[in-house]
Amino acid sequence: MNPRFGLFAWLAAVVAVTLVHEPAWLAGGCAAVVVFSGAGRTVLLVRALRAVLPILLLISAGYLVMSWLTATPAWSFLLLLNLRVTLLALLTGWMLRDVRIERALQGWPRAQRWLSIVRVQVATFRRLAGEYRDAVKSRSTVAPTLWQRYRAGAALGLAVLDKAVYNAEAVTQGMRSRGALDE
Amino acid sequence: MARATASRALIGMHIPDGLISPQTYLPALALAAPLWVIAGRRLRDRLGDEMLPRLAVFTALAFLLSTVMLPLPGGTSGHAVGVGLLALVFGPWTAFMAYSLVLLLQAVVVGAGGITALPVNALAIGFVGAWTAVALYRGLGLLGEAPAVLLAVWGAVMTSALILALVLGLQPWLAHAPDGTPRFFPFGPAVTLPALLIPHALIGAGEAALTLLIFRHARRRRWLAVRG
Repeated sequence: MNPRFGLFAWLAAVVAVTLVHEPAWLAGGCAAVVVFSGAGRTVLLVRALRAVLPILLLISAGYLVMSWLTATPAWSFLLLLNLRVTLLALLTGWMLRDVRIERALQGWPRAQRWLSIVRVQVATFRRLAGEYRDAVKSRSTVAPTLWQRYRAGAALGLAVLDKAVYNAEAVTQGMRSRGALDE
Repeated sequence: MARATASRALIGMHIPDGLISPQTYLPALALAAPLWVIAGRRLRDRLGDEMLPRLAVFTALAFLLSTVMLPLPGGTSGHAVGVGLLALVFGPWTAFMAYSLVLLLQAVVVGAGGITALPVNALAIGFVGAWTAVALYRGLGLLGEAPAVLLAVWGAVMTSALILALVLGLQPWLAHAPDGTPRFFPFGPAVTLPALLIPHALIGAGEAALTLLIFRHARRRRWLAVRG
């Protein structure tokens, strides 16, 4: 699939889904996504349901209680909300699985650059935090108290922040020297 | 019961797809788009080799902060936002742009939050939150740095929560079937206001403490770019 087409198709589909208020159409949409998403459809379905199930259960339970207290029927709204949110989650999951965002942004170098820089920083933060946490764990013989954990976490966070900024400065200078930041 | 369950569903502040009506997100997009253009132009003018890596790191930090769950009484948890930190370090316009990017990344890379709700979230959290933080910080400067930062960030979290609670609470009134059945988020302000404001009073306190720690560190390192 052309990544840019995929991205725009997803955007259009998401907006369209919020304009549909007929449960049958939304159910058809869910079925269509499951059928046409190809191999891995079960994983896609499970992931989408896992993402939206908590919020759907909570809102549905609250609405059911409210309907019971006010003696109004709830099923039509519950069907509409659950199908709509599930279909949106399926569409987003499908897009995330099949569309390479970096390629979809080809032609917008500034957006592509920002996306790359921030993604690299997120990965760097996660890696550094993991390394520091393992280092602290390996030097601790007794389990720390909650207060010690907070203090260690704060010190670790600031050390990781320093390192991330230095790394980012080095990367930026490297990119600048190779002309990657020239407009 | 309805209030408690809604509260648990809404504690993670920004709104997911499917709960906000087009009557809300389309006008929000029309309002946010020119603000993004202004913020983008201001950012382009200020973005140098010194600021670029710091902004990238702090944007990534805000992204990660929004995945840090803060425990709340009752066994639930909520996440920090990070926009107050961005606003106090880089100014409100840059914070708005950076936080919009965080929301976009969450929507298109992680699949969290929502793309249709993005303009609403960006305006309520990124724009109003950032400006509230900066205005309170400047206004409360006489109290000293620590109280000013703490109150500014707490105030920003509460203001954003208030706006999102009102936006959600207006959904049954904005989008409903002819028989009155809601089509999107079903609960009114009587449920959404306490559901969002009470937990965020605690989340805001945690985030304020975290922001003060990082803000002081950023000041020591001379990373502050105070003008917006």
